[in-house]
Amino acid sequence: MTTIDPTAVAITAPGRPKVWTIWITVLAAGLLVGFGSFIYQWSQGLGVTGLSNTITWGLYIVAFMFLVGISAGGLIVVAGAELVGTHRFEHLNRLAVVCSVAAVATAAGTILPDLGRPQRAWKMLVQPHLTSPLVWDMAVLGVYLAIGLIDLWILTRTPVPAKALRVMAIVSLPVAVLVHSVTAWIFGLLVARPFWNTPLLAPLFISSALVSGTSLVVVTAYITERVTPFRVGDQAYAGLRRLLLWFVAADVFLLFTEVMTTYVSGEPDHRNQLDILLTGRLAPVFWSEVGLGVALPVLMLLSRRGRRSTTLAIAGVLLVLGVFAKRINILFAAEFQPLVGLAPGIPGGRPGQQFRPDEIYLPSWVEIGVLIGMTSFFLTIVTLGVQRAVLPHHDADT
Amino acid sequence: MSDERISPIEALPAASRAYGTIDVRSEHPRWGMAVDLERCVGCWSCAVSCKSENAVPLGMWWNRILTDGPALDTPATDEHGRHDLHWVPLACQHCDDAPCQKVCPTSATWTNDEGLVLVNQDDCIGCRYCMAACPYGVRVFNWGDAEYPVPEGTGMVATRPVGSVEKCTMCVHRLAEDQVPSCVWSCPAQARVFGDLNAPESRLVQLLGSRNAEVLLEEKGTHPKVSYLQPRRRRPIQVTAEEASS
Repeated sequence: MTTIDPTAVAITAPGRPKVWTIWITVLAAGLLVGFGSFIYQWSQGLGVTGLSNTITWGLYIVAFMFLVGISAGGLIVVAGAELVGTHRFEHLNRLAVVCSVAAVATAAGTILPDLGRPQRAWKMLVQPHLTSPLVWDMAVLGVYLAIGLIDLWILTRTPVPAKALRVMAIVSLPVAVLVHSVTAWIFGLLVARPFWNTPLLAPLFISSALVSGTSLVVVTAYITERVTPFRVGDQAYAGLRRLLLWFVAADVFLLFTEVMTTYVSGEPDHRNQLDILLTGRLAPVFWSEVGLGVALPVLMLLSRRGRRSTTLAIAGVLLVLGVFAKRINILFAAEFQPLVGLAPGIPGGRPGQQFRPDEIYLPSWVEIGVLIGMTSFFLTIVTLGVQRAVLPHHDADT
Repeated sequence: MSDERISPIEALPAASRAYGTIDVRSEHPRWGMAVDLERCVGCWSCAVSCKSENAVPLGMWWNRILTDGPALDTPATDEHGRHDLHWVPLACQHCDDAPCQKVCPTSATWTNDEGLVLVNQDDCIGCRYCMAACPYGVRVFNWGDAEYPVPEGTGMVATRPVGSVEKCTMCVHRLAEDQVPSCVWSCPAQARVFGDLNAPESRLVQLLGSRNAEVLLEEKGTHPKVSYLQPRRRRPIQVTAEEASS
C-alpha cells in the first residue's frame, strides 16, 4: 500500500472534488432546514407537530430510540473485538467509533426539539429528579459520549496505545449495556403502558441495537470504501456478516418470545396493544418489519451472493430500516390504546379540537424538517470524522 | 385583573356557601374525594365549572365525564339494549404513589404536605414524560398559545405557559379558605364528596366505610385518593318475553 500524506488526504478527500462539494452543500442545506423547522416550532409551540394529548411522543422519540440503538456498532467493533482478541476489525476501529459518537451526539440533540420549553432544559442538570429514568439516561448518554470521544482520541495516536485501548474496552462494555437498558427503561418502567412494561424490553433494545449498530458500520464502511481510498477487505466483511446473522437471530428470538408469551397468556391490556401490531392499525408496519426488515436481509445474507460486499451493504440498509420500523411499532402500540379508553376519550388540546378516543398520528412537515436536520447533523459528524480521523490514519493499519 | 374578579362561590348567600365548605379538617389533612356513581347524571357541570375556575384553555379539560358506551351522547347499554346510565367522571386521581411524579426529570410534579399532586410550571420543561406515565390520561399539554372564552381566563388562578403540562389541582387555591373544589360545589346531583381522609368523622371517610368504594385501575398500584362509590341498587328490570327471546 502506498503511503498517503495525511495533510494531502485531508485537503483532497474524498478524492472527487465535485461530489464532495455537492455532498457538503446537501448537508448544509439539510442542517438549515432542520434548524429553521426547530426555530419555527419553538416560536409556535409543539402544536405545529402531529402530536396530541393522546399521542404525546412521536417521530422525535422514535428517532431518539433509533439513534441510541445504532450507536452500538462502534463498541462491538472496538471493545468486542478487543475483548475476544480478534484483530480482523482493527482497521475499522476509527470508522466504527465515529459512527457511535455521531449517533450518540445526535440522539442527545433529538431530545431538545421534543421539549415544550427547550429554554428550560438546563433545569434537568441543576435539579435532576433521581427517580426519573430520563435523568439516568441523560447521565449514561453523557458518559457514553465521553467514552466514544476518548476512544477516538486514543485511536488517532501513533502508535495506538494498546493498553489504554484495552482498559477503555473493559470500561465501555458495561456502559453500553446500560445505555440501551436505561433507554428501554424510559418506556419499560411505566405501569401505564402494558406493551412497554415488560422485563424483556431492555434485552430487546440491546439486541436491536446490535443489529442496527453493526449494520450501520457495514453500510458506512461500504460507502466510505466506494468514495475514498479506505479499504475494508473480505475478511472484515465476512466477520461482520457472521456477527449480523447472530445478532438478528438473537433479536428475532427475543421478539418471538415476547409476542408468544403475550399472545398466548398476556393480560388483556397488554394483549390488546399487541393486537394493534399483529392485526390492527400498525399491522402493515409490523409485517413489513418482519418481511422486509428481517426475513429478506437474512435470506440475502444466507444466499450464494451473501458474501459480496454489495449484498451485505443492501442487507445492512434493510436491517437498519427494519429496526427503525420496530421503534415505530414499540412506541405507538402503547400510545394508540390508553388504559382508560372510555368515550369520549382524551381532549385534543387545541381550540376546536374534539375528544379523541381513537387516535391516529402522522408527523407534520415541521417534524419531518427537524428530522432532516438531525439526519444531516449525523451525516456531517460522520463525514468530518471520516475525513479527519479515519482517512489520515488508515494507511497505518494496512 | 385578578383582584377584580371573585370566585362564583363568594357571590352566593351565606346559606348556599355553607354547602361548599369543608366539613372537618384534621391537624394534618390528607385530601381525598369520592364520586357517587349512584348520583352522577353525566351532566358535565363539574367539568365546565372546573374550566372556568381554573382558566383551562379552549380544547383542554382537566375534568371530563366518560361513559362505557360508544360515544359521548350514547352511554353504555345493558344486556337488554337499554341505557345503563353509567358515567365515570375523570380527573387527576392524586395518587399516593404517583407514576407521573416518579418520572418527572426536574421534580416539577410534586406532592404537597396535604397529599395533592401538583405541577410547578416554573420547573416544567415540557418533556411530557408524565403524560406517558399517567395510567388515567388526565394530563393535558399546552400545545400553543392558549385561547380562552374570556380574555386571560377567569383570573382565579394563574394561566399556564406554552409548552408546559397541567392538570387538576383539586382547586388547591380554594382549600386554604375552607372551600371545597369547584367540581364538588357545582355538582347539581351532589355526587362528589370532598374531605380529609385523615379525619375519621368527615363525611368522606364515613361514606368510604359504609359504601362499596372502588378506585380506578387498582391493579396498577398507584393508590389514588379519588374513589368511586358503586351504585347500591339498580332499577328493577322487567324483561318482557320478547326481549328474553331475542
